Amino acid sequence: MSANTRGAPQMPPAPNKEDAVATWNYLEAGIDRVMLHLEHGIDMHTYMGVYTAVHDFCTSQKAVGLGMSSGASIGSGNHRGAHLLGEELYRKLSDYLTKHLHQVLQEARTHSNEALLAFYIKEWNRYTNAAKYIHHLFRYLNRHWVKREMDEGKRNIYDVYTLHLVQWREELFKNISDKVMDAVLMLVEKQRNGETIDHSQIKQVVESYVSLGLDESDPTRSTLDIYRYHFENPFLAATAKYYENESKQFFTENSVVEYMKKAETRLDEEKDRVDMFLHPDILHALQKTCEKVLISDHATLLRDEFQVLLENDREQDMARMYGLLQRIPEGLEPLRQRFETHVRKAGLNAIEKVASENPEKLEPKIYVDALLEVHTQYSGLVTRAFREEAEFTRSLDNACKEFVNRNEICKSGSNKSPELLAKYTDVLLRKSSTGIEEAELEGTLARIMIVFKYIEDKDVFQKFYSRMLARRLVHSNSSSDDAETSMISKLKEACGFEYTNKLQRMFQDMQISKDLNNSYREHCDSLESNKAILDSQYSILGTGFWPLQAPNTNFSPPGEINEEIERFTRFYKNKHEGRKLTWLWQLCKGELKAGYCKSSKMPYTFQVSMYQMAILLLFNEKDVHSYDDIAAATLLSQEVLDQALAILVKAKILLVSPEGKPESGSELRLNFDFKSKKIRVNLNLGGAKESKQEEVETNKTIEEDRKLLIQSAIVRIMKARKQMKHMQLVSETINQIKARFVPKVPDIKKCIEILLDKEYLERLEDDDLGYLA
Amino acid sequence: MADAKPAPKIWVQSNDSAIIELDRQVAERSVLIKNLIEDIGDEGITAQNPIPIPNVNEAVLRKVVEWCEHHRNDPPQTQDDDNDARKKTTEIEEWDQKFMQVDQEMLFEIILASNYLDIKPLLDVGCKTVANMIKGKSPEEIRKTFNITNDFTPEEEEQIRRENEWAEDR
Repeated sequence: MSANTRGAPQMPPAPNKEDAVATWNYLEAGIDRVMLHLEHGIDMHTYMGVYTAVHDFCTSQKAVGLGMSSGASIGSGNHRGAHLLGEELYRKLSDYLTKHLHQVLQEARTHSNEALLAFYIKEWNRYTNAAKYIHHLFRYLNRHWVKREMDEGKRNIYDVYTLHLVQWREELFKNISDKVMDAVLMLVEKQRNGETIDHSQIKQVVESYVSLGLDESDPTRSTLDIYRYHFENPFLAATAKYYENESKQFFTENSVVEYMKKAETRLDEEKDRVDMFLHPDILHALQKTCEKVLISDHATLLRDEFQVLLENDREQDMARMYGLLQRIPEGLEPLRQRFETHVRKAGLNAIEKVASENPEKLEPKIYVDALLEVHTQYSGLVTRAFREEAEFTRSLDNACKEFVNRNEICKSGSNKSPELLAKYTDVLLRKSSTGIEEAELEGTLARIMIVFKYIEDKDVFQKFYSRMLARRLVHSNSSSDDAETSMISKLKEACGFEYTNKLQRMFQDMQISKDLNNSYREHCDSLESNKAILDSQYSILGTGFWPLQAPNTNFSPPGEINEEIERFTRFYKNKHEGRKLTWLWQLCKGELKAGYCKSSKMPYTFQVSMYQMAILLLFNEKDVHSYDDIAAATLLSQEVLDQALAILVKAKILLVSPEGKPESGSELRLNFDFKSKKIRVNLNLGGAKESKQEEVETNKTIEEDRKLLIQSAIVRIMKARKQMKHMQLVSETINQIKARFVPKVPDIKKCIEILLDKEYLERLEDDDLGYLA
Repeated sequence: MADAKPAPKIWVQSNDSAIIELDRQVAERSVLIKNLIEDIGDEGITAQNPIPIPNVNEAVLRKVVEWCEHHRNDPPQTQDDDNDARKKTTEIEEWDQKFMQVDQEMLFEIILASNYLDIKPLLDVGCKTVANMIKGKSPEEIRKTFNITNDFTPEEEEQIRRENEWAEDR
């Protein structure tokens, strides 16, 4: 112990426990040693001496009565009147601390700024360290007298360590905390100005301020009140002021983009500052403060810049702006509005451009690609600059929906977009010479679906799609079954089973027909006597599922065909009794071998429609037929006949006399000198005109179908609800149908009238409608 | 696993100069000693320079050490665990009961020493033992047990009885 206690004053002799004055003198010497000379250590004799002195004093006095070592004292000890001793010691200790801290305060007043900071920290560390020792040395006082006082609810009595903190706060802290804080803020400002500082000092000040937050009502708990009042508030105020000035200054000399970079850096720095030396509690408030002065106060300026950035595709800067504005409440909404408007304009401009570049006829691909390009560009922007935020995605969707459904091309009606989209899909799925790769095709179909998602009139798409699918299937020129199925399942995913039901049935019919043809072939093979001369294929198409109509002309098939057809009909009726077969002659086609041509050793093969076939087969009997004979033999209407003949004449398979358009009175002669570079000659070319007609027809049926759709929706709703207000029914109907198209309210009202007439519904009181089963 | 290192030792000295060696773990049952070691380290504590225990004599100190040895592995007491179930019952575990079978003088010395050395569980055991000695006895019997002279006047006694009527066992 001698080595450890060098430099420390000698301890007086251990006191008589009855003698309060001597005891205090002894304790004061011990406390002095701990307070002032702890760096020299404390030997255990002193340690035990002080502890024992406290113990002895607290257990000694007469009030406890008889000597402690005599067993007789216990009987009266638990009487209410017995009080634990220690108050005197507690007061003395408290006074000691007051005196001690006065000295510290005197010295503190001689320092300022960083020196004061250093002094405060040094003193704080010394003082709290000593407090821990004294707390232990006075533990007996804590355990008994202090505990009892606190249990009895006495205020302003603390355990010894807390007493130290309270005294520090009252005697020292309250007098110098502002100056300490000034020093802290000066240091922080230096750091913000780019200087290197010793931030561990600030960290210690923070810790000290936090320690001083004692909950008056519950001394075992601490609060951040003191810290908040004396540290956090001035810190935040200084921060706000600093950045207010800085940003004002910065804006006068720099662009908005530069400012955003600066603000970003500053925000990050402040966050790091919290990690480095501030209390984590300040983080939120500090960020709010910085966000206000750095972002909110300049939000208008920033947002005005957004338009410029958008127009110049400054993606990174937009990302930066997003990052800043998303920090403040309602910061992004104006951006979203501008973004939406901008995308819509971009879409409209793109469409206007392609429309003016192709004034005659707009290829579906060009149109859809133009739509997609705009979408791709801005969905990319949403991903990269706006972190795929849901609200921005919604703005993008809104804008796309607008320009997809209402643009230059759609001026005549919103049907145009779904029609062109369906046509483009048809181009993709049709067998073609360009031959798109399977994988690429799949990707393109997926992109089709992006546009499809925005189409409001999904029923129009469905109409066109199903017609074109029918054509692909009937003419078996679909590029691949896989691609077809994939597309159908995509549509199903987007619009549900009902939407694709018919498409799927059409697909199924083709499959069933394939099997049917196989068993028909077997059937024919078994009829050995009557060998089939025709290699025929049949497709059985369910009436309800296919968008096809019976031919609009009479027709008498040629004998060769007729025989075969009757055989098939017998076979089919045998298999499926009671089914009615309607021959769609306009869709039938075949091949003829022409062995009569002089110019070629190889016989030509003519690919012809059924009508053309009927005409040409007539020339097996004679080489010349009058127009009227042909009409009589085939029973074809004039329109259809002219159409079929026109191609044959144009290809110079038949020659007309007199020359010109074949008409009643003309004669048609087989051309034996027919020449062609190709062996196979395709004469089945009704295409262009046919599809034009189809287009008109399709558009015509849409309105009819919509009425039915609205009516069935109304009936469904009423069947479920039984009774409903008129208004409610209308809005519910819109809800149900809007996935297909956007119904107009007058149309719905008209449909309700129709249903009332048909007695599906009845009018009740109070604008209510009832369902009649 | 414990035999890898010999347990660190501590020396204490009673007020009649007996030096007792014990494991540091055992000594730290006393919060006083535990805090002392924490505060000033155990490097200076040797057989030649033991921790002075000025308030306890050898006989009592040995007895206390015996208790600490036995309870060396008890969970460390938490600061002021007032709600401890231990407090609510006067039951004493068997070993402690035997340990407390000492004369009254020694019993009280143990209580005082455990209070001084800040060994709460031992203090509790001691007090419970005393409580059990009082339980079920009339004032006269209690006076006899603890050798107390009745210094109340009959009037005083009557008043106390009235004040405490609510506590009477009926």
